[in-house]
Amino acid sequence: MLSCKQLVARSSDYLDKQLTLGERLMVRQHLLFCSHCRRFLKQMRVAQATVRALPEEPVVDSQALAERLARELKDS
Amino acid sequence: MTGEQQTRLLERLLKGEQQAFKELVDTYQGAMRAVAYAIVGSRHADEAVQDAWLAVVRNLKGFEQRSSLKTWLLTITANAAKTRYKQNRREVLLDDLPGPHGTIGDERFATDGHWLQGPAAWHEDTPEALLSREQMRECLEHTLLSLSELQRSVLLLRERQGLELEQICNLLDISLSNVRVLLHRARLKVFATLEHFEETGQC
Repeated sequence: MLSCKQLVARSSDYLDKQLTLGERLMVRQHLLFCSHCRRFLKQMRVAQATVRALPEEPVVDSQALAERLARELKDS
Repeated sequence: MTGEQQTRLLERLLKGEQQAFKELVDTYQGAMRAVAYAIVGSRHADEAVQDAWLAVVRNLKGFEQRSSLKTWLLTITANAAKTRYKQNRREVLLDDLPGPHGTIGDERFATDGHWLQGPAAWHEDTPEALLSREQMRECLEHTLLSLSELQRSVLLLRERQGLELEQICNLLDISLSNVRVLLHRARLKVFATLEHFEETGQC
Protein backbone atom coordinates (compact mmCIF):
# COMPACT_ATOMS: atom_id res chain seq x y z
CA MET A 1 0.00 0.00 0.00
CA LEU A 2 1.25 3.43 -0.97
CA SER A 3 1.93 5.87 1.87
CA CYS A 4 0.74 9.48 1.76
CA LYS A 5 4.32 10.62 1.31
CA GLN A 6 4.74 8.30 -1.67
CA LEU A 7 1.48 9.50 -3.13
CA VAL A 8 2.60 13.12 -2.89
CA ALA A 9 5.89 12.18 -4.56
CA ARG A 10 3.95 10.64 -7.47
CA SER A 11 1.25 13.28 -7.64
CA SER A 12 2.62 15.21 -10.62
CA ASP A 13 3.16 12.01 -12.56
CA TYR A 14 -0.39 10.99 -11.71
CA LEU A 15 -1.78 14.30 -12.93
CA ASP A 16 0.32 14.11 -16.10
CA LYS A 17 -0.62 10.48 -16.74
CA GLN A 18 2.99 9.34 -16.49
CA LEU A 19 2.34 6.41 -14.16
CA THR A 20 2.12 2.80 -15.23
CA LEU A 21 -1.25 1.16 -14.92
CA GLY A 22 -0.17 -0.61 -11.73
CA GLU A 23 1.06 2.60 -10.12
CA ARG A 24 -2.07 4.38 -11.16
CA LEU A 25 -4.25 1.75 -9.53
CA MET A 26 -2.20 2.02 -6.33
CA VAL A 27 -2.81 5.77 -6.27
CA ARG A 28 -6.53 5.27 -6.90
CA GLN A 29 -6.75 2.71 -4.15
CA HIS A 30 -4.99 5.02 -1.70
CA LEU A 31 -7.32 7.87 -2.61
CA LEU A 32 -10.36 5.74 -1.84
CA PHE A 33 -9.32 5.56 1.79
CA CYS A 34 -7.45 8.82 2.37
CA SER A 35 -9.31 12.12 2.54
CA HIS A 36 -6.07 14.05 3.18
CA CYS A 37 -4.59 12.92 -0.10
CA ARG A 38 -7.87 13.49 -1.94
CA ARG A 39 -7.80 17.05 -0.70
CA PHE A 40 -4.12 17.39 -1.57
CA LEU A 41 -4.70 16.27 -5.17
CA LYS A 42 -7.73 18.51 -5.53
CA GLN A 43 -5.65 21.45 -4.34
CA MET A 44 -2.83 20.49 -6.70
CA ARG A 45 -5.32 20.74 -9.55
CA VAL A 46 -6.46 24.14 -8.30
CA ALA A 47 -2.81 25.22 -8.14
CA GLN A 48 -2.29 24.06 -11.75
CA ALA A 49 -5.36 25.94 -12.90
CA THR A 50 -4.26 29.03 -10.99
CA VAL A 51 -0.88 29.13 -12.72
CA ARG A 52 -2.72 28.68 -16.02
CA ALA A 53 -5.04 31.59 -15.19
CA LEU A 54 -2.26 33.95 -14.16
CA PRO A 55 -2.20 36.75 -16.72
CA GLU A 56 0.63 36.55 -19.21
CA GLU A 57 2.91 39.47 -19.83
CA PRO A 58 1.43 41.12 -22.94
CA VAL A 59 3.45 41.49 -26.12
CA VAL A 60 4.90 44.96 -25.90
CA ASP A 61 4.19 46.21 -29.39
CA SER A 62 2.71 43.50 -31.52
CA GLN A 63 1.50 46.00 -34.11
CA ALA A 64 5.01 47.23 -34.89
CA LEU A 65 6.35 43.69 -35.02
CA ALA A 66 3.50 42.63 -37.32
CA GLU A 67 4.25 45.53 -39.66
CA ARG A 68 7.88 44.59 -39.77
CA LEU A 69 7.18 40.93 -40.45
CA ALA A 70 4.71 41.72 -43.21
CA ARG A 71 7.34 43.96 -44.79
CA GLU A 72 10.04 41.29 -44.47
CA LEU A 73 7.76 38.82 -46.22
CA LYS A 74 7.21 41.17 -49.15
CA ASP A 75 10.93 41.86 -49.44
CA SER A 76 11.88 38.20 -49.37
CA MET B 1 -6.72 26.83 -33.43
CA THR B 2 -8.44 24.31 -35.69
CA GLY B 3 -6.80 23.04 -38.87
CA GLU B 4 -9.18 25.09 -40.94
CA GLN B 5 -8.51 28.31 -39.01
CA GLN B 6 -4.82 27.62 -39.35
CA THR B 7 -5.04 27.17 -43.12
CA ARG B 8 -6.97 30.41 -43.46
CA LEU B 9 -4.51 32.30 -41.29
CA LEU B 10 -1.63 30.92 -43.36
CA GLU B 11 -3.24 32.10 -46.59
CA ARG B 12 -3.56 35.60 -45.19
CA LEU B 13 0.01 35.52 -43.89
CA LEU B 14 1.36 34.50 -47.27
CA LYS B 15 -0.43 37.45 -48.82
CA GLY B 16 1.46 39.63 -46.38
CA GLU B 17 -1.62 40.79 -44.54
CA GLN B 18 -0.49 42.85 -41.58
CA GLN B 19 -3.50 42.01 -39.44
CA ALA B 20 -2.76 38.31 -39.90
CA PHE B 21 0.76 38.83 -38.61
CA LYS B 22 -0.62 40.68 -35.63
CA GLU B 23 -2.89 37.73 -34.84
CA LEU B 24 0.04 35.38 -35.18
CA VAL B 25 2.20 37.45 -32.86
CA ASP B 26 -0.55 37.94 -30.27
CA THR B 27 -1.40 34.25 -30.25
CA TYR B 28 2.04 32.69 -30.14
CA GLN B 29 4.60 35.16 -28.91
CA GLY B 30 3.98 34.16 -25.28
CA ALA B 31 4.68 30.49 -25.92
CA MET B 32 7.69 31.33 -28.08
CA ARG B 33 9.07 33.53 -25.37
CA ALA B 34 8.64 30.78 -22.81
CA VAL B 35 10.61 28.37 -24.99
CA ALA B 36 13.38 30.88 -25.66
CA TYR B 37 13.53 31.75 -22.01
CA ALA B 38 14.02 28.12 -21.08
CA ILE B 39 16.99 27.78 -23.42
CA VAL B 40 18.85 31.08 -23.29
CA GLY B 41 17.53 32.63 -20.08
CA SER B 42 15.95 36.00 -19.53
CA ARG B 43 18.82 38.06 -20.87
CA HIS B 44 18.69 36.75 -24.42
CA ALA B 45 15.14 35.45 -24.74
CA ASP B 46 13.82 38.50 -26.60
CA GLU B 47 16.67 38.41 -29.12
CA ALA B 48 16.09 34.71 -29.72
CA VAL B 49 12.39 35.35 -30.33
CA GLN B 50 13.27 38.11 -32.81
CA ASP B 51 15.56 35.68 -34.64
CA ALA B 52 12.78 33.14 -34.62
CA TRP B 53 10.23 35.53 -36.15
CA LEU B 54 12.57 36.33 -39.00
CA ALA B 55 13.15 32.63 -39.60
CA VAL B 56 9.39 32.10 -39.55
CA VAL B 57 8.90 34.70 -42.27
CA ARG B 58 11.71 33.22 -44.36
CA ASN B 59 10.28 29.71 -44.10
CA LEU B 60 6.58 30.45 -44.22
CA LYS B 61 6.20 29.45 -47.85
CA GLY B 62 7.77 26.08 -47.16
CA PHE B 63 5.58 25.23 -44.17
CA GLU B 64 3.64 22.14 -45.21
CA GLN B 65 1.40 21.79 -42.15
CA ARG B 66 2.77 18.39 -41.25
CA SER B 67 2.75 19.61 -37.68
CA SER B 68 0.53 22.22 -36.07
CA LEU B 69 1.46 25.83 -36.57
CA LYS B 70 2.21 26.11 -32.87
CA THR B 71 4.60 23.15 -32.88
CA TRP B 72 6.33 24.51 -35.97
CA LEU B 73 6.75 27.98 -34.43
CA LEU B 74 8.07 26.56 -31.18
CA THR B 75 10.55 24.30 -32.98
CA ILE B 76 11.88 27.29 -34.92
CA THR B 77 12.12 29.24 -31.68
CA ALA B 78 14.02 26.45 -29.94
CA ASN B 79 16.43 26.23 -32.87
CA ALA B 80 16.95 29.99 -32.94
CA ALA B 81 17.62 30.00 -29.22
CA LYS B 82 20.03 27.07 -29.46
CA THR B 83 21.93 28.77 -32.27
CA ARG B 84 22.34 31.85 -30.13
CA TYR B 85 23.55 29.75 -27.31
CA LYS B 86 25.82 27.37 -29.19
CA GLN B 87 29.05 28.64 -27.65
CA ASN B 88 28.16 27.86 -24.10
CA ARG B 89 25.08 25.77 -23.95
CA ARG B 90 23.57 25.58 -20.56
CA GLU B 91 23.78 22.30 -18.75
CA VAL B 92 20.53 21.00 -17.44
CA LEU B 93 20.50 22.45 -14.00
CA LEU B 94 18.34 20.52 -11.66
CA ASP B 95 19.21 23.02 -8.95
CA ASP B 96 16.36 23.35 -6.60
CA LEU B 97 16.27 26.84 -5.14
CA PRO B 98 14.25 27.22 -1.96
CA GLY B 99 10.78 28.63 -2.53
CA PRO B 100 9.57 31.58 -0.46
CA HIS B 101 7.07 29.35 1.32
CA GLY B 102 9.02 26.12 1.14
CA THR B 103 7.59 23.00 -0.40
CA ILE B 104 5.67 19.93 0.67
CA GLY B 105 8.68 18.22 2.16
CA ASP B 106 9.53 15.35 4.48
CA GLU B 107 8.67 17.42 7.55
CA ARG B 108 5.01 17.13 6.64
CA PHE B 109 4.99 13.38 7.11
CA ALA B 110 5.40 10.95 10.00
CA THR B 111 8.05 8.25 9.77
CA ASP B 112 5.41 5.81 8.52
CA GLY B 113 4.68 8.16 5.60
CA HIS B 114 1.31 9.43 6.80
CA TRP B 115 0.52 13.14 6.85
CA LEU B 116 1.41 14.60 10.25
CA GLN B 117 -1.31 17.11 9.63
CA GLY B 118 -3.27 16.85 6.43
CA PRO B 119 -3.64 19.80 4.09
CA ALA B 120 -6.23 22.29 5.41
CA ALA B 121 -9.25 23.26 3.34
CA TRP B 122 -8.79 26.46 1.35
CA HIS B 123 -11.24 29.32 1.63
CA GLU B 124 -11.12 29.87 -2.06
CA ASP B 125 -10.73 26.91 -4.31
CA THR B 126 -11.13 28.31 -7.77
CA PRO B 127 -8.37 30.12 -9.70
CA GLU B 128 -10.68 33.09 -10.25
CA ALA B 129 -11.31 33.52 -6.53
CA LEU B 130 -7.66 33.00 -5.65
CA LEU B 131 -6.44 35.48 -8.23
CA SER B 132 -9.09 38.06 -7.46
CA ARG B 133 -6.86 39.42 -4.72
CA GLU B 134 -3.99 41.43 -6.04
CA GLN B 135 -1.78 40.46 -3.14
CA MET B 136 -2.26 36.80 -3.99
CA ARG B 137 -1.35 37.41 -7.62
CA GLU B 138 1.80 39.23 -6.60
CA CYS B 139 2.65 36.52 -4.12
CA LEU B 140 2.36 33.85 -6.77
CA GLU B 141 4.41 35.88 -9.26
CA HIS B 142 7.06 36.20 -6.59
CA THR B 143 7.15 32.44 -6.10
CA LEU B 144 7.43 31.84 -9.85
CA LEU B 145 10.34 34.27 -10.01
CA SER B 146 12.07 32.44 -7.18
CA LEU B 147 12.21 29.23 -9.24
CA SER B 148 15.26 28.50 -11.36
CA GLU B 149 14.76 29.68 -14.95
CA LEU B 150 14.47 26.14 -16.22
CA GLN B 151 12.05 25.08 -13.52
CA ARG B 152 9.84 28.09 -14.14
CA SER B 153 9.96 27.60 -17.90
CA VAL B 154 8.96 23.98 -17.71
CA LEU B 155 6.09 24.83 -15.37
CA LEU B 156 4.80 27.60 -17.62
CA LEU B 157 5.20 25.56 -20.81
CA ARG B 158 3.17 22.81 -19.24
CA GLU B 159 0.47 24.69 -17.32
CA ARG B 160 0.08 27.92 -19.25
CA GLN B 161 1.01 26.86 -22.77
CA GLY B 162 -0.46 23.38 -22.37
CA LEU B 163 2.43 21.53 -24.01
CA GLU B 164 2.77 17.78 -23.63
CA LEU B 165 5.76 16.58 -21.62
CA GLU B 166 7.21 14.98 -24.76
CA GLN B 167 7.07 18.30 -26.59
CA ILE B 168 8.89 20.01 -23.74
CA CYS B 169 11.61 17.33 -23.83
CA ASN B 170 12.08 17.72 -27.56
CA LEU B 171 12.13 21.50 -27.58
CA LEU B 172 14.50 21.86 -24.65
CA ASP B 173 16.62 18.75 -25.25
CA ILE B 174 16.11 17.45 -21.77
CA SER B 175 15.07 13.98 -20.71
CA LEU B 176 11.53 13.08 -19.75
CA SER B 177 12.62 12.20 -16.24
CA ASN B 178 14.23 15.62 -15.84
CA VAL B 179 11.10 17.35 -17.07
CA ARG B 180 9.06 15.37 -14.57
CA VAL B 181 11.36 16.28 -11.70
CA LEU B 182 11.45 19.96 -12.62
CA LEU B 183 7.70 20.13 -12.98
CA HIS B 184 6.97 18.38 -9.72
CA ARG B 185 9.32 20.54 -7.67
CA ALA B 186 7.90 23.69 -9.19
CA ARG B 187 4.32 22.61 -8.53
CA LEU B 188 4.99 21.80 -4.90
CA LYS B 189 6.44 25.26 -4.34
CA VAL B 190 3.42 26.87 -5.96
CA PHE B 191 1.25 24.66 -3.78
CA ALA B 192 3.12 25.76 -0.65
CA THR B 193 2.59 29.41 -1.56
CA LEU B 194 -1.14 29.01 -2.10
CA GLU B 195 -1.43 27.03 1.11
CA HIS B 196 0.53 29.61 3.06
CA PHE B 197 -1.58 32.43 1.70
CA GLU B 198 -4.80 30.60 2.44
CA GLU B 199 -3.69 29.94 6.01
CA THR B 200 -2.26 33.31 6.91
CA GLY B 201 -4.00 35.67 4.50
CA GLN B 202 -0.67 37.17 3.55
CA CYS B 203 2.36 36.46 1.44
